[in-house]
Amino acid sequence: MKSIWLLIKKNLRLLVRSKTSALVIFFAPLLIMLLLGLSYDTSSSYGLNIGVYAPAFSEDVESLITSLQEQEFKIIKYETTVDDCVEDIKAGYVHTCLSIPESLQVEDNQQKEVTFYVDPSKINLVWMIQENLGSKFNLKSQEISQGLTSGILTSVADAKTQLSEESTELNGVKEKSSAASASALSVSQQLGALDLNLPASTYNPQALTTIKSSLSLEVENSLVEVDDAREAVEAANITNDAQILNSLNDIETKLEKVDALLSGAVVSATNSTNTSSNSTASESLSSILTLLEQDLTATQNKLTAASQAVISSSSSLSSASQAMQESVGALDNVQQGLGQIKTTLESQKVTDANVISSPLITRIEPVAPESTYLNYLFPALLVLVVMFSSLLLGTTLVMMEKNSPAFFRNYFLPLRKGTFVISTFFTTLLITLVQVVIILGVSMVFLKESIFYMLPVAGVLLLSSSVFSFMGMGIGYAFKSEETGTLASISTGSLLLFVSGVVLPIESISPLVRKITALNPFVISESIIREVFLFNADISAVWVEVASLIGYAVGLFAIILVVEYLVHKHFISGFMKHRHLKHRQQEKRDKNNV
Amino acid sequence: MNGLKLIELKEVSKSFGNNSILGDVNLTIEEGDILGIIGRSGSGKTTLLNLVAGFLEPSEGEVLHHFKAAHGPESLHQNLHRIKDLIGYAPQHNSFYPKLTVLENLLHFGQLYKLPKETILNNIKGLLEATDLLSHQNKLAEHLSGGMQKRLDIACSLVHKPKILVLDEPTADLDPMLQKEIMNFLMQVNKQGVTLVIASHHLALLERACNKIAIVHTGRVHSQGHIDEIRKSYSKDNFTLSLSPGDNKERLISILKTLPIDRIIDKDHLLVVHPKNITKTVTGLLTAIQEENLYLHDLDIRHPSLDEIFEIITSREK
Repeated sequence: MKSIWLLIKKNLRLLVRSKTSALVIFFAPLLIMLLLGLSYDTSSSYGLNIGVYAPAFSEDVESLITSLQEQEFKIIKYETTVDDCVEDIKAGYVHTCLSIPESLQVEDNQQKEVTFYVDPSKINLVWMIQENLGSKFNLKSQEISQGLTSGILTSVADAKTQLSEESTELNGVKEKSSAASASALSVSQQLGALDLNLPASTYNPQALTTIKSSLSLEVENSLVEVDDAREAVEAANITNDAQILNSLNDIETKLEKVDALLSGAVVSATNSTNTSSNSTASESLSSILTLLEQDLTATQNKLTAASQAVISSSSSLSSASQAMQESVGALDNVQQGLGQIKTTLESQKVTDANVISSPLITRIEPVAPESTYLNYLFPALLVLVVMFSSLLLGTTLVMMEKNSPAFFRNYFLPLRKGTFVISTFFTTLLITLVQVVIILGVSMVFLKESIFYMLPVAGVLLLSSSVFSFMGMGIGYAFKSEETGTLASISTGSLLLFVSGVVLPIESISPLVRKITALNPFVISESIIREVFLFNADISAVWVEVASLIGYAVGLFAIILVVEYLVHKHFISGFMKHRHLKHRQQEKRDKNNV
Repeated sequence: MNGLKLIELKEVSKSFGNNSILGDVNLTIEEGDILGIIGRSGSGKTTLLNLVAGFLEPSEGEVLHHFKAAHGPESLHQNLHRIKDLIGYAPQHNSFYPKLTVLENLLHFGQLYKLPKETILNNIKGLLEATDLLSHQNKLAEHLSGGMQKRLDIACSLVHKPKILVLDEPTADLDPMLQKEIMNFLMQVNKQGVTLVIASHHLALLERACNKIAIVHTGRVHSQGHIDEIRKSYSKDNFTLSLSPGDNKERLISILKTLPIDRIIDKDHLLVVHPKNITKTVTGLLTAIQEENLYLHDLDIRHPSLDEIFEIITSREK
């Protein structure tokens, strides 16, 4: 147990006395916690720049924009065309573009479509955008759906009320119709009960012919007398009242004559029948007349009854007619009411259940050509490989040189210190170049890309490699042992990777750290390669990023030179101190032995 | 050995922080010298070598070089970049790339001195022959034996034909045969006109190879110059009487006491006599032995070794 404790004490001493190790071991976890804390203490804020394009920024669109702004999304409006926004995605100024219709109100059975333009190569970002904006749009869709459903329900409720009213109206119609029906039935029964058959009596036609002839003669005579009277009237030159009176008297006389003639004709007719030799005929006329009289009486009675029935029916039918007219009026009202209901229901233009349930639909539109995930990940993978290999190569080469037995001899070589730094850098670059050539060569086969696109990619990779090589070299100079140096390189690479957006979207980290990570050479390199490789951008389009990388490389080179100079001095001093101490200890041991 | 100054240390002190390593060092290295620097571990030998090689800058005083006669003496450290090709340095631990072959190492260091390739190849050829590494030229340095590695290290320091070669413990960790081999090789190098400055523990080897020595102790150079002069200034010659059991030891001691001697050290079968005048003492002793017919097994007159001188100096400091 004691020995274990002694060994632990020794280990701790060694760790503490190696300043860099102590720094890494004790402060690295704290630093990581601090960084992570700063990075992901974002609560609900996201650093997404969202481009919004709409044909017109109506109230609906503005309301949506406001709701997005409430979530601290930065909104950039594009009023001309969505293509400008897409170009900005490619340039990395905005993270997504939303193409929103002018109005979000669904008026026919067509769903409103909101298009998300995203960069598919930023898979994490796409996921985050879908997650965050999708929920926002779902909420909006739900809101619209609720409005639509509410409209429908209101129409249905109105229709229900109207139908209730029409139902009452119809009940009235029903009652009136029933009454009219009863009246009609009664009329029908009354009329059905009427006997309108003619008396079944028969008359002697011969006698009637004789009478007709006799009457015809007398009538002709009467007509002659009438003519005479007319002629007399026409002939009289009536000039005064006396004359008129005379004429009228004369006409009266004449008409009396006519009357007498007609009476005479009747008598004659009667006589003629009486004087007929045929007694049957004589009887017939009498009986005819009697019969006729009877028939007329009977007919009179029937007609009287019929008249009464007709009067009664007429009354019934009149009331039935009135009822029917009222019913027609009520039915008109019902028809009108139903028409209104129909209008109300027809005013509800959205009837498709699918549209009502999802009035807003979202569509993801990749801004890069459809491709495999390998294509999208390719820029990050390239930079990842180059970053780690350059960092580790830089560190390893410096460590190899520093820990090499020949390091001491190099001091006496007639070379500038910068020569060693440059040679280490070019060694790294050369090895990276070979790696890049192999990787891009293989990629050309798998991704079927032309060498035309690969050359600028290779150029950018070498530039990135320069930056990471210098970083690795700096680490190499800063650390004593190869193990700690390698560990530091891997840690640095991991840190750069962690805040690059490859593992987690940068946009999800806190704004402060996000600003810092924008300076991450990994992020810059990946951004350039993405634009060149995926969007076929010209190098001139990414000159700012390229200039940043060059700036990094130059700056780091200068720092390395200073560090190398300082470390070299430090190394010499340390070397001498160590050696002196060692010899002193040896001397003491020798003395003790003596 | 024409006595032209190459490097000169004037009142040089060197300290690291508060830790003073060397103080008031005055030393001159002349062309053709083989200067041995002796001292205990931690005495400041390596620091002195590093000052001579220009690797360190003195805290006080100045280290001057006379390589460029036209310019006169110049600060060595400040002008090191101009005279690096004139200095060779072989540190205590081998300083080459173990993963390179013998030839690759020599070519690498040779080419970095920007000499014409032909000159380098000639130099390498000569060095490989001189160091007996010709047959091993394609071996990885790490696969060489200790002696070969040391020879390769020295060869690497000589590949550009420097005027002066500074060696720190060139025979450390080597067996006596290899030590001798290395020293022989260095003497050959010196004969080719290379001035050597060698720091070593192996005083006997230095005594054999060096024409000058500097004794460093507790951060001071206690003595420097030609080895005979130092020997004279620090210790006189002495002689040893080897006695057999029958010899009359007491009588011999009494005779010696009548002669001019400083002291007699009795080591049972040996009597070490430090005379005031060796000639008179030895003559008187031999005369007395002859007259009294005494028997003496052996008499060995010897000069004091570097080791003894060093012991005297260090014991004085105690």
